[in-house]
Amino acid sequence: MVFSSMALFAIGTIGIVIKRNPLIAFLSIEMMLNAANLLFVSFARRWGDDMGLVWVFFVLVVAAAEAAVGLALIINLLRSKPIVDVDEYNQLRG
Amino acid sequence: MSLAICFGLFLPLVGFLSLVLLSGVLDRRQVGILACTVIALSFFSFALLLGTFLQNGMQPAHVTLFQWIPLPGIDANVSLHLDALSLLMTLIITGVGCLIHIYSIGYMDDEEDLARYFAFLNFFVFSMLLLVLAGDLLVLFAGWEGVGLASYLLIGFWYRRPAAAAAATKAFVMNRIGDLGLLLGILLTFHLFETGDMGEINRRASLEFIVGAPALTLLTLLYFVGATGKSAQFPLYSWLPDAMEGPTPVSALIHAATMVTAGVYLIVRMHALFLLAPITLQVVGLVGAGTSLFAALCAVGQTDLKKVLAYSTVSQLGLMFLACGAGAFYAAMFHLTSHAFIKALLFLSAGNVVHMMHGETSMEKMGGLARIFGKTQWFFLIGSLALAGLPPFAAFFSKDLILEQEYLAGYHFLFYLGLAASVLTGFYLMRAYCLTFLGPLQLSLKARQAVKEAPCVMWVPVAILAFLAIVGGLLGYPLHGTPLLETFLHEVGLTMFEAELHSGFVLTPETWVAISGALCAVAIAAWLYTRGVYRLAKPFSWLKQAFYVDNAYEQMLVNPLKRLSSWIVDVWEPQFFEGAIWEIGLMAQRVSRWLQRLQSGQIRSYLAWMVAGSALLMIYLVR
Repeated sequence: MVFSSMALFAIGTIGIVIKRNPLIAFLSIEMMLNAANLLFVSFARRWGDDMGLVWVFFVLVVAAAEAAVGLALIINLLRSKPIVDVDEYNQLRG
Repeated sequence: MSLAICFGLFLPLVGFLSLVLLSGVLDRRQVGILACTVIALSFFSFALLLGTFLQNGMQPAHVTLFQWIPLPGIDANVSLHLDALSLLMTLIITGVGCLIHIYSIGYMDDEEDLARYFAFLNFFVFSMLLLVLAGDLLVLFAGWEGVGLASYLLIGFWYRRPAAAAAATKAFVMNRIGDLGLLLGILLTFHLFETGDMGEINRRASLEFIVGAPALTLLTLLYFVGATGKSAQFPLYSWLPDAMEGPTPVSALIHAATMVTAGVYLIVRMHALFLLAPITLQVVGLVGAGTSLFAALCAVGQTDLKKVLAYSTVSQLGLMFLACGAGAFYAAMFHLTSHAFIKALLFLSAGNVVHMMHGETSMEKMGGLARIFGKTQWFFLIGSLALAGLPPFAAFFSKDLILEQEYLAGYHFLFYLGLAASVLTGFYLMRAYCLTFLGPLQLSLKARQAVKEAPCVMWVPVAILAFLAIVGGLLGYPLHGTPLLETFLHEVGLTMFEAELHSGFVLTPETWVAISGALCAVAIAAWLYTRGVYRLAKPFSWLKQAFYVDNAYEQMLVNPLKRLSSWIVDVWEPQFFEGAIWEIGLMAQRVSRWLQRLQSGQIRSYLAWMVAGSALLMIYLVR
C-alpha cells in the first residue's frame, strides 16, 4: 500500500509539471492529496491507531475547500483569457 | 589654598562663558569691564597665594580634582600643582594679561565684535593657567591645546582678511606638528612611568634610569618637538611672524609674553628628565642658538614694525632654549620673566602707533613720529634698550646670565652664536626705533592732524610695563647674597645644576664683551638710520624674506602636497574609486539579469523547481 501511495504521489507530481491544461493539473493535485490519504489509512491500520483515520477526514475537507477555490480561480482565469494552457498565463514574468 | 587656586584658575573660564552667553545683553563698556575684572581678580588671588606660599615656607600645594582615567597602568588625575615655578608663571600670565586686557579696551575701541574678542582672550588666559598649573601631563596637554586654539582664533580674529585667515591656518598646522610630538611624548611617558603626575615622574626618573638612557633621550626629544612648535623654534618657527596678522594686544599677550614661552616652561618643568638626556640637551642648545641668530638676522631685514618684534621674540626664545640646553634652567626662567615684561611693552607701544595710524604696520609709512607720540616713543626706547641688554634694565641681567652660564658650561661655540644674536638685538630694535620715530615725517599734512598720541587707557598699562622693564632685573640682582628670584625658584630644584657652575652675579670678561657689543650695535644702528643713508636699504631683501625659508617650505612641502591632492582629484579618484564603484554596480546588474530568467512567469517551471528543491531537502534530511 505504501508503494501504491508513492506511485500515486509521483504520478500526480509528474502530471502537474508536464500537463498544460489547468484542469488536469488540478486533478493531479487531488491525486497527490489522495496519495497522502492512502498513506494515513494504511499506517492507521498498521499501528492500530485511529488518529490517522481522523486526519483523512480533515484532508478531505481541505481538499473540498481547495477544489471550490481552485475551480473558481480557473473559471476567472478563463474569463480573462479564453485559452486552456497555463503556459500562456505568464504576465508575472520578471 | 586649593580653593584660591581653583578660584584664580576658573575665573577666566567663567568670564569666557558669561561673555559668550551674555554677548547680546551686555553693551561695549560692560564687556570690557567684565573681561578685565575677572583677570584682575584672578591676578589678585594669585598675588594673595604668593603671600601664603611664602609664609608656608614655600610648600607646594597639590589639588586633585578628580580621577580622570582609572585604568591599570595609566594613572591620570585631573590635578593642579602650585609651586614656585607655576606661581611665577601664573603671576606673569595674569599680571601682564590684566594690563593687556585693559589696553585692549583702548585698542579695540572701533571694533564691532568686542565680546567675541574678549571671550577669546579670557579663554586664552584660562587655558594658559591650566597649562602652567597642571599637575598631570594630560591636564597640561589640555591647556596646551587650549592655548593653541585660542591663538588660532585670535590670529584669525579679522577672519574676513585673507591674510589673517591664512596666518591662522598656518599657525594651527605648524602647532599641530609640534603637538603630535608632545602627544607621542606623553604616551611614551605613560608607557615608561605608568603615571602622568609630573612631580612623581621627575622624582622617579633619576632613580629608574641612568644618564643617557635611550628611552629618556627619545622621550625628551619628543617633548622638544612639542616645544619647538609652540615656542616657534626652527624648523617650526615661521608661523610666528605671520601671526602678526592678529590684533596687536594679542601679539603682545599670546605671541610674545606667555603662550610662546610654554615650550620653555615644559622643558623647565620636566628638567629632571632633560638632565638625564645629554644628547637632547645638546640638540636643544644647538636649535636654540641657531634659531636665535637666524631670527635676529631676519629681524634686521624686516620693514614691518610688528614683524621686527616677532622675529625678535623668536630670537629671544632661542636664547631661553640655549640656556635650557646648558642646564641653566633658572637663567631661562629669569629671561622668560624679563622678556615677558619687555616684549609686552614693545608690542603695546608699537600697538599705540599702529592703532593711531589706523592699522598701518609698515615702517616705510612711518618716521618722525616722535613729535606726535611724545610718551610712546620713550616707552619704545626703554623697551629697545632693555631688550638690547644695556646695564640698568631687566634683560641685561637675564641675558648676560644666560651667556655667562653658557660660557662656563663650556659651550663656547654656542656662546658665540648667542652673543651674536644678543648683539644684533640692540641693532634691529634701534633700527626699528629710528625708522619709526626719528627722521623726517612721512605723513601728509592732512594725515598729520588726524594722528594723535594714544589715549590714557592705552599708555598707562604701557607705562606700568615700562616700569617693570626697568626694575625687573632687580629680581635677579644679588642685593643681599643670592638673588630674589633664584631663592624663590631654588625650592623647585631648578638651580641645583647651576650651583655647580656658578652662583651670584659677577662681572666677568664675557659680560663686558656683551655690554660693549650691545652698546656698539645700538650706536651703529642709531648712527646709520638717523642719517637716513640706509633708509630701508635694499641689501637686506633676502633677510626680509627670512632667507626664503618660507618659500622653501612652499616649494618642498606645500606644493607637492597640492600636486598630490590635485592628482588624486583629477586622476586617482575618477579612475580608481569611481571606476571601482561603477564596476561593482555593473556586476550586480549582470548577476541580477541572469537571476531574472528564473522568474519566467511559467507556473510549471516554478513547480518543477519546487519539486526539485523538496527532493533535495528530503534527501538531505533522510540521509
